[in-house]
Amino acid sequence: DDAFDYLFKIILIGDSNVGKTCVVHRFKTGHYNEKQQNTIGVDFTVRSMDIDGKKGSSIHWPLQLLSFLLQIQVWDTAGQERFRTITQSYYRSAHGAIIAYDLTRRSTFESIPHWIHEIEKYGAANLVIMLIGNKSDSLDKRQVLFEDACTLAEKHGLLAVLETSAKEAQNIEELFTLMAKELIARNTLQLHGKNPPNSFCLDSR
Amino acid sequence: EYEDKSGRAHRPLSPKQNVRKNLDFEPLSTTALILEDRPANLPAKPAEEAQKHRQQYEEMVVQAKKRELKEAQKRKKQLEERCKLEDSIGNAVLTWNNEILPNWETMCCSRKVRELWWQGIPPSVRGKVWSLAIGNELNITHELYDICLARAKEKWRSLSTGGTEGECEDAGFSAADREASLELIKLDISRTFPSLCIFQQGGPYHDTLHSILGAYTCYRPDVGYVQGMSFIAAVLILNLDTADAFIAFSNLLNKPCQMAFFRVDHGLMLTYFAAFEVFFEENLPKLFAHFKKNNLTPDIYLIDWIFTLYSKSLPLDLACRVWDVFCRDGEEFLFRTALGILKLFEDILTKMDFIHIAQFLTKLPEDLPSEEFFTSIAAIQMQSRNKKWAQV
Repeated sequence: DDAFDYLFKIILIGDSNVGKTCVVHRFKTGHYNEKQQNTIGVDFTVRSMDIDGKKGSSIHWPLQLLSFLLQIQVWDTAGQERFRTITQSYYRSAHGAIIAYDLTRRSTFESIPHWIHEIEKYGAANLVIMLIGNKSDSLDKRQVLFEDACTLAEKHGLLAVLETSAKEAQNIEELFTLMAKELIARNTLQLHGKNPPNSFCLDSR
Repeated sequence: EYEDKSGRAHRPLSPKQNVRKNLDFEPLSTTALILEDRPANLPAKPAEEAQKHRQQYEEMVVQAKKRELKEAQKRKKQLEERCKLEDSIGNAVLTWNNEILPNWETMCCSRKVRELWWQGIPPSVRGKVWSLAIGNELNITHELYDICLARAKEKWRSLSTGGTEGECEDAGFSAADREASLELIKLDISRTFPSLCIFQQGGPYHDTLHSILGAYTCYRPDVGYVQGMSFIAAVLILNLDTADAFIAFSNLLNKPCQMAFFRVDHGLMLTYFAAFEVFFEENLPKLFAHFKKNNLTPDIYLIDWIFTLYSKSLPLDLACRVWDVFCRDGEEFLFRTALGILKLFEDILTKMDFIHIAQFLTKLPEDLPSEEFFTSIAAIQMQSRNKKWAQV
């Protein structure tokens, strides 16, 4: 269990009831839990991931032909405004952040600049940020256009936007793979020629 | 299965005797095993083979009987234990109703009552005991509840017609946040004990939960609705009538520890965590050192436990027993319970690293053994260098 090349800590934020916990649950177990309770404080999930550069991938990636075994830690936070003072203290040591909105509820998308601001204020400078519009299984109730999300992501220099469905397992694996590959690339290229990847030391928090 | 059904059918007559009599039954399923000779149109078996088959058949029957008998004995034992438990609950109900509740003021602190209390309050008197123990310092009346509820309903109406959604950006903690919290109540109700299927849209307690939470935001606009409250209100609703549940809810949240957490008073919360760590080190020094080494601070697991008073993280029947003693001993017991959980899983936890401990503690196993659990809570001493919880 200890033998992995990298350990990445990803914080998952966004308004209440956009489906953050369901996304993590799908990522961890491969199942959808319709009866999800709301999160108080932070919930923790850990999963190992195999990133195999040899397998064909649609994502452009500079480290083809290399394989990595990763440990992904997801810090799944409570969405209510009131808890922000608590969750802020967990941003500091995160390597990546996923901001989630519910594409069937416009107000959750309108809070995104607020969440980006939080990350800029409390997170590390080189944090990789991704945006997800969850509940893509309910497209008939769509209130947020994908184009709008892309514009917003570009404006703030986010890595990517994906529309996901925890319910129908759309783009969940892709989300974490994309995040993982970007984090590997950044760390490996940074260290290239200096240290082998597995000596890169990350503390557990 | 047959025995079970007939047991139930006879129950109204004289339940226990009938069930017990039914346990002395003969194993039934062996009758399904019948040794038959070959059909007449085929040559008969040689005597030797027929003998062998008869022997095999008899062995099968004997083994099946043995197995059934063993199972029947196991069921009998389980049933006896259940009867014993039901008897003791029945007796406890009588004691609570006839002796303790009528003389609450004088008896509630006696040694005998405190011991009975520790065993768990029978569900039928639980609500009454909780109400008495929590008290009504705030002097809330049923009328006040009706007024608050009427005001909440007024607000919902104006909110649904006004429709100023989406303007809550950057307004911080002000009116917009409170409006958002009315919106949030709606979203959270269906996410409160979803597996019970009673608080969801269309469920019997959906409106009750909605009303209590809404009324509270009008009663205490300075606190508003905070996630975690829906679980507390739900547990109270399961044990009390609506207005009484509201009274208990408001008084419970008014306790210093609950106020500190629900107002997210960071400074005070840290004080509680620090006090908790003093007792943690005292009771479980090895595990405490392991947590320190892994940078695992109490906020990681305590926030969820304290906000929901364990109702989200423990199975509901265990959570209610924790609430029983919490009503008896106050906030101290919440932290004692936390140490009890850590103690129960000490061996597993010492072998884990930061993230696995965090994952484990935020998703406790669903099949917690209740007796072991309370034994391990009982083993926790809430005294540190002669100081009690309140002093630390």
